[in-house]
This record gives sequence, C-alpha cells and structure tokens, in this order.
Amino acid sequence: MNTKKRDRVYFWMIFPAFAGFTVLYLLPTAMSFLYSLTNWSVYNAQLRFVGLRNFQKIFTDVKTVAALVHSIKYAILITICQNVLAVLLAVLLNRKSRAANFVKSVTFLPAVLSIMVVGYLFQYIMTSADGGLLNRIIEWFGGKPVNWLGDADIALYSVLITQVWQWTGWSMVIYIANLKSIDASLYEAADMDGAGSVQKFFRITLPLLYPAISFNILMSLIGGMKMFDAVFVMTKGGPGYATETIMTTVIREGFSSGRNAYACAFSVVFFIVVFLFSQTLTYVFNRWEEAIRA
Amino acid sequence: MTLKKAAGRAGYGIFLISVLLIMIIPIYYLLVTTFKTPAEAAASPLGLPVQITFENYRKAIEAMGYGRALKNNLVIAVSSVSLLIIFASMSAYVIARSTNRLFRLMNSVFMVGLIIPFQISIIPLYKMLAGVNLMNTHTAVILVDVFCINLPLSIFLMRGFIHTVPVELEEAALIDGSGTFQCFWRIIFPLLKPILSTVAILDMLAIWNDFMTPLLLLQSSEKQVLLQQVYKNVGPFSTDWTSFFPMLVMATLPLVLFYLVMQKQIIEGVVAGAVKG
Amino acid sequence: MRKKAISFVICAAMAAGCLPGTQVYAQDGQEVVKLRMMAYNAESARATYLQYLADKLPGIEIEFEFVSTDNFDNVLNSQLQAGEGPDIIEVGGQTKLLARAGYLMDLSDQEFIGKYSDSGLQAYTVGEGVYAEPLQSWFEGIFYNKKMFEENGISVPKTWDEFIEIHKTLEEKGIKAQTMGAQSYEPMMKQSIGLVNNLFYSDSANMAFDEKFNEGEGKLEEAWLPAVQEWYKIIEAGCLNAEMLGLSYDQALDEFATEKAAMWECGPWAVETILEKNPDIDLGMFPIPGTDGEKPGWLVGGPGSAWAINAKSEHMEEALQVLEVTSTEEAQQALAKDNAGSSFVKGVEIDLGDIYADCEEAFKEGNVYAPWTAVWTNGNAVTESYGKSLQEVLSGSKDVQQALADADMTNADLLEALE
Repeated sequence: MNTKKRDRVYFWMIFPAFAGFTVLYLLPTAMSFLYSLTNWSVYNAQLRFVGLRNFQKIFTDVKTVAALVHSIKYAILITICQNVLAVLLAVLLNRKSRAANFVKSVTFLPAVLSIMVVGYLFQYIMTSADGGLLNRIIEWFGGKPVNWLGDADIALYSVLITQVWQWTGWSMVIYIANLKSIDASLYEAADMDGAGSVQKFFRITLPLLYPAISFNILMSLIGGMKMFDAVFVMTKGGPGYATETIMTTVIREGFSSGRNAYACAFSVVFFIVVFLFSQTLTYVFNRWEEAIRA
Repeated sequence: MTLKKAAGRAGYGIFLISVLLIMIIPIYYLLVTTFKTPAEAAASPLGLPVQITFENYRKAIEAMGYGRALKNNLVIAVSSVSLLIIFASMSAYVIARSTNRLFRLMNSVFMVGLIIPFQISIIPLYKMLAGVNLMNTHTAVILVDVFCINLPLSIFLMRGFIHTVPVELEEAALIDGSGTFQCFWRIIFPLLKPILSTVAILDMLAIWNDFMTPLLLLQSSEKQVLLQQVYKNVGPFSTDWTSFFPMLVMATLPLVLFYLVMQKQIIEGVVAGAVKG
Repeated sequence: MRKKAISFVICAAMAAGCLPGTQVYAQDGQEVVKLRMMAYNAESARATYLQYLADKLPGIEIEFEFVSTDNFDNVLNSQLQAGEGPDIIEVGGQTKLLARAGYLMDLSDQEFIGKYSDSGLQAYTVGEGVYAEPLQSWFEGIFYNKKMFEENGISVPKTWDEFIEIHKTLEEKGIKAQTMGAQSYEPMMKQSIGLVNNLFYSDSANMAFDEKFNEGEGKLEEAWLPAVQEWYKIIEAGCLNAEMLGLSYDQALDEFATEKAAMWECGPWAVETILEKNPDIDLGMFPIPGTDGEKPGWLVGGPGSAWAINAKSEHMEEALQVLEVTSTEEAQQALAKDNAGSSFVKGVEIDLGDIYADCEEAFKEGNVYAPWTAVWTNGNAVTESYGKSLQEVLSGSKDVQQALADADMTNADLLEALE
C-alpha cells in the first residue's frame, strides 16, 4: 500500500482529536490574547480595542501583583518541599519489608482524594476555634496555638503544608520506581571504595534519579502555578489578599466582578510566566543531563 | 556492631511510625468525627465515638442527593475516559508510526498542552461553550475534561508505548489485506492494554477530582457532581457541619474504594506516566 | 466486540448527559412547568414560603438552587452571559448592573408592583423601569445572649463606647464577648458600615453622597473616614482581634450558639440554626449603637433581596405568576416566618417577635440602611474590596483610610470597565 493512501487514513484517525483540541484549547487561548487588548466586560455590550491598558493596570494594582507573587512563591516552595521530602521518603522506604510497603501505600493515599476535600478537612483541623485539632495537639505538647489560616503571614504556608501532605506520596512512588532501575552493582563498587551512605546518595543516587527529578519538578511547578482549589476552599484568598493566587484572581475578576478583559490579560501574564519557567527548566535539565552523560 | 544495628532498626521503626502518624491522623480524624455529635467532637477530637451511628451519613446522603450526583460523576468520568482512550490511541498511533511532517507538527501542537494549563483560556472557553448552548450540560464538562485537560498527556503516554510495539505485526496484517484502520483496531489496540489502563486510571483520577470545571459549567443541581454538592453545603446561610464531614467521606469514597482495589495498578500507572516519557 | 462495547457506553453516557428534563404531569393531567429559582438564601430560610407557592400554584414546580454568596455572582454572571440562567433570580446589590446590561425583565407595568411602597422599589429602579420585586427587608444587628448579659449585670449598650466597655467587662470575667467569622470579608464590612449609618447617613443631606459615588465623584476615603475611625476603636481596644480571621461563619455561629461568646453580629436567617444547636438560648438583638446615646442606633440592611425575572426566560408567564402570588399578604407572612423582616407591601404588618424588641426604636425611625444594596452600582465588588482590606486592617498591615481608598479604587476601576 502506498504512503499517500495510508496517510489519508492516518489523517482521519488523528483528525477528531486535533479538531477538538484546536477548537477547545487553541482557539480560546488565542481569544484570551485578543480579548486582553479590549475592554470586554459582563456589563458592557460595546467591545473596544484599548491596547495595553489592561496590562498596565495589572502591574499598577498591588493586589494583582501580590497574587502573581504568591503563585510564584507557592510554586517554587511546593516544588522544593514536596521533592526533597519525596526523595527522602523514597530512599528510606525503598526496601523489601512489609512495614515499609504499608507506609508507602498509606503515604500515597491522599493523592486519590480530591484537593477540595483535603482543603475542607484541613480547614477544620487548622481552625483557630476551640475545637481546632492541630492547635490542640500543639497545646498538648505545651506549645502556643497558631492562627494557621487567619494570620496573613502564615496562611499561604498553611495551605502549602496541606498540599505537600497530599502530593508527596505521588512524587515518592515515581522516585521509588526510578530508584529500582539503578544498577545495584554501582553501590557495591562504591562500597569497595569505602564510600559512606551520604556520599553514595550524592554520588550515585541523586544523579541517576535525574529522569524522575526533572519530571517531578516540572509537574509540581506547573501544578503550583495554577493552584486554585485549595485556596478557594480554605481561605477564599484571605485574610485580605494574603493567599490570592493567579487563578483565584482570574476567577474573581473575570466572573465575580465581570472584568473579563482584565482577567484575560492576567491569563496572558500567567502564560508568559509558565512559559518562561518551563523553558528555563528544560534548559537547566538539558545541561544537567549533558553533564551526567559526560 | 549488633548494638548499632539494633539502634538503626529502632530508628527506622520510629521513622516509619512518625510518617504513618502524620499521614493517617487527618484521615482518622475525618472518619471518626463522622460518627460523633458536635459536642463529642469538641470534647475529644481524636477519641473513639461513644456509639456508631450512621445517622450523620443518612443526612449527608440526603442533603447531597447522593445517587443523582454519583450518577453524574460516573457519566462524566466514563464518557470522558472512553473518548480519551479512543482519540488518544488513534492519534498516538499515527504520530508514532508516520514520518509525515504534518503529523509531526500536530504532535508538537498537542505537546503545548502539556506545558500550558488550559486555565488561561477559561473565560473565552466559557463564552464559547455558552455560545453553542452547551452551558449546564455534561457534554460541556466532558469536552473540557477530554480536550483541554487530559488529551495531551494521554497521547504522550500512548505514543511512548506504541514505539515499543514491533512494526512487523502490522506489516503482516497489511499483507493479509486488511486496511490501516482495521489493522489498528484489530492488531495494535489490543496490544496497548497495559498503557490503556495506565491512561484510564490517570485520567479517571484527574476527572473525578476536578472541581473547577463542573463548578463553572454545571449550574442546576440535577446535573451537579459530588464535589459541587459538598461545596453547596458549606458557606454562609447554611450551617450543618455535623453532616458535613460525612459528605467529605461520601464524596471521596468511590475513589478510595477504587484505590484500595486497584492500588497496584494505580501506582504503576502513576509511575508509567512519569517514566515512559 | 470491545469497540462496540465502548461505543455503546459512550452513546449511553452522552445520551444521559444531553437528555432534556423529562416532562412531568400534575395529577389532573395538566403539564407542570419547571421554574429555576436561584438564590443565596438557603432553602430552609424560605421553607414556609416555598410550601405556600407549591399550594397556590400547582401547575408550577420550583427548582430551588442555593448558591452561597461567595460564589453567587460567579455562577449567575456566567449563566447570564451565556444567555442562560434561572427563570427567577434572587438579586441584591447587583440589580442595577444586571438591569443596565439588559439581563432582567422590566416589571414596571405589572399590577403587583403597584402594591409596593416606593422605599422598597427604589433599590431596583433604573430610570423608568423597575427590575425586581422586593422580598422582606433584611437587617443585621448584634445578637446577644440575654442570660449571659443578665448574669454579668450588663444592659444593652446605647453608644459605641458603651459597647466597647461591655467587651471589657465580660473579658475581665474570662468570657469571650464577641465572636466574629472574620475569615469572610463580610462581618467587619457590615459592622463598620453600621457606624457609618449612625454618623454619616443619619444626616439625610448625606444620602445624596451615594449617587455621586456612582458617578465616580464622591470618595469614601473622605466621606466615611470619621465614622470608620470611630468603628476602629473596637479593634484598638482589642475586642476584635486577628484570631478571628481564622474563624469561619459556621464556627462563629457555633461559638455564639453554644454560649462560648456573648455577642455575634448577624441577621434573622441565622436564628433557626442557632436554635437548632441550642434550643434553650435566650436570644436578643440590638442595633449597632452610634455616639449619641439619645438616638436608637442603626441596623445594616434594607430591601435586601428581591426576585427578578431573567429577560431570556422561557417561562415568563409562570414566573410572573410566582411574583404575583408573592405580593399577597399570606406570602409576605410566610416569607417573614423563616427569615424575619418587615414587608414592603403597603398595609402588611409583620410581627417580628421578641428577639428584635431592642431594635424596635430603630425600626420606627427607619434606621436601616445598606448603601451598597440600596444605591451603589458596583455594590458587591466594592464592598468585597473594602471588606478584604479591613481584614488587613485587623491583621495590622493597613489602616482604615487605606481600606477606604482601596474601595474607592475598585469603584473607579469598575466604573471605567463600564465605559
């Protein structure tokens, strides 16, 4: 059979997916870019071109800039916390023992719960009301209660803790699988050289975890940037604007206040940030890979 | 030496127990509270309930319209996952097997979706779905779940797998005279079973736990999913938190059962999702 | 085979997803029309009224959708933008915006509108048109636990300073005086506006300010500042504290209902839940006091919410029937039963009950006002911005002047978006 005929069949096989993707993903994305240059609002029928005014407003509005900063801060912190913990857990739990296996599956469990359910659960655990479980545990140990979600300086980190709790297991199983693929003879060789376990970890384990690390970091970073559910149910962006993120702001401005064009413009800023992040990471990882291979 | 070993083992035991406690206390708290009265919960949050009563659950199930919401979840999840498997496997096959520049290009376009979250297009997307009268329909949620959220990763995973399937099988079938399309469904598709289950599991988790899409697209309570029912029962002007924790449990129960039964496959799926790339 | 099975599953699932609601017939074979009613007051706060509607209008089945205020504008705006949405909408501060954008049906020609007093209709009037039918008035004051007041020899405060004193007296005895679910931006916003009512709007000349504010001329930062600074004393005195930012509405209600706190600012819709949690509580409410002890104080409120009809509704006839029935005395009484408030239908007197006895003077003087629902065009967004900034005031990172300036800025931004 000739290639031409085969390609025609191929075309019709890929077409439904591509058409759907174009219409539902690419087109609205392009529209977001276009609308960001207009005055589009729920309460306003007349669409006008306003140039870059929406962008100008974004960077002069402290609330919006704060939301951007929170998202970036959150994304970077969750990437670090989640991955450091997951690598540690993976190294320590990667054994053939029943107990370790059990702990492994329990650690993964929260990942199948919805973020929203975890958010509500921790809202009750972290409340400053009398029944707040976390504060009661702290007081039982003789500590002072903390206003986890109501203190503007802490609230974002409290939300972060719940998400680290939920997602570390997910990253961990990926690291464990990667660890299993590392050739045991490398460690034996290191033992002969008299290397300690810390040295072995940095000389062998960490470099060879490269595939899992690059994947996990990229995923946590992007996931962190688009964080919405947890904040939405735990703090509603508050107190004040202390936990507003990019997505909560887009939803508030775009749907509640009806400033669609402004929300679109903020989406475009979001796009640029994510794009820069992923490009930088890809570059860094490529250099790292070259270094390892060399 | 043995002393050091024993200390090491004890240390390891303490480590295991502390991880276990951190992971399990919140879940235990969630479960145990559902059987208590508010006074009981306040008096000893971690104590065992005085008596096991399912009254709170009964109330929760009623307030959530549980049967209806669960059905909605299933309709959305099963349709989305089926569509994803069909569309993604065909696309991945074409991308994996053809050297045509057009399909290469399409592949790069799909991969944009891996990096750039669809949320940036949410407002125009919303307007568009409304424009074609899909607002407040499951179809809208299914379309977004399939094309905006899960398609790129599904294609990516399947493409990686198809590369490992030997081409010779198809060539033999083609010589037998079956067309490209039949050949895919008869020969290739059945071989994809391992990756299909990976993709189905990952997509299932993502779709079931997605709160924002139904929140924005489904308005009438007849159409809403479990998480929306939970959401509706909090917030000002409606306070009944004794039946609120059972709602959280009931909303996640299907997935937790799914996890308990399919634990091995789910974890393998997550791992395959990361490593096959 | 497998392919068939899959395609069958998809078809079945898609069909289930797309099927329109099946027709339902009433007993006499007459077709029942389903009306969607979207509201931010829960079904329990309307139970008697809804039952009354069901009895009166057997041909109409009301599908009541509760959406909490946090998310109400989100959900509503998105549906209306889509040319969809409920047939009957509970509207408040957003009425004027929605009416201007053409989403609501003009009711001014309807006979039943004539039964309402002008004060009830003012908030829903744009130009010549009336776009909603007011339900009972809403109001918020300070709920207090009568028993706890008596035991500690405290009487209802007449001035803001006395109010602050009460906190100190109670707190010296180790009793939490006031609880507040300040995790939401609403309670501080409303309580401070209670002071603004006392010190600013009580002068009828100042009522004109709100129209100017809509034009973008008046500034809260100038007009409201003295009143809000007076309110701020309660924070200075430590009676409201940053701890409360970690409390939700539910948790605050719980503290008040279980007698862990003596006072809580809220409105009649909470009474049922309070009594459910603690049937023995002896409940009272007093208005938010001002600086002059001779005057009765003010409540925050007004013609709170109202029914509007979606201009794109397919069941206008039936929706109008519902509004018509709502304007009858029986329906008004039924509304007040679950959510106490006075009626705007001329000649209908509603007995609010003992809980509100301390507010009687304030009601008589007409001391109930909420500028953002009554007059402001961008009421909801501006009060949200103001309330969120007050949270920052409570946590100590802003002062009240900045909070008011933030609200002014939000107003300016939204007015600009309307241009």
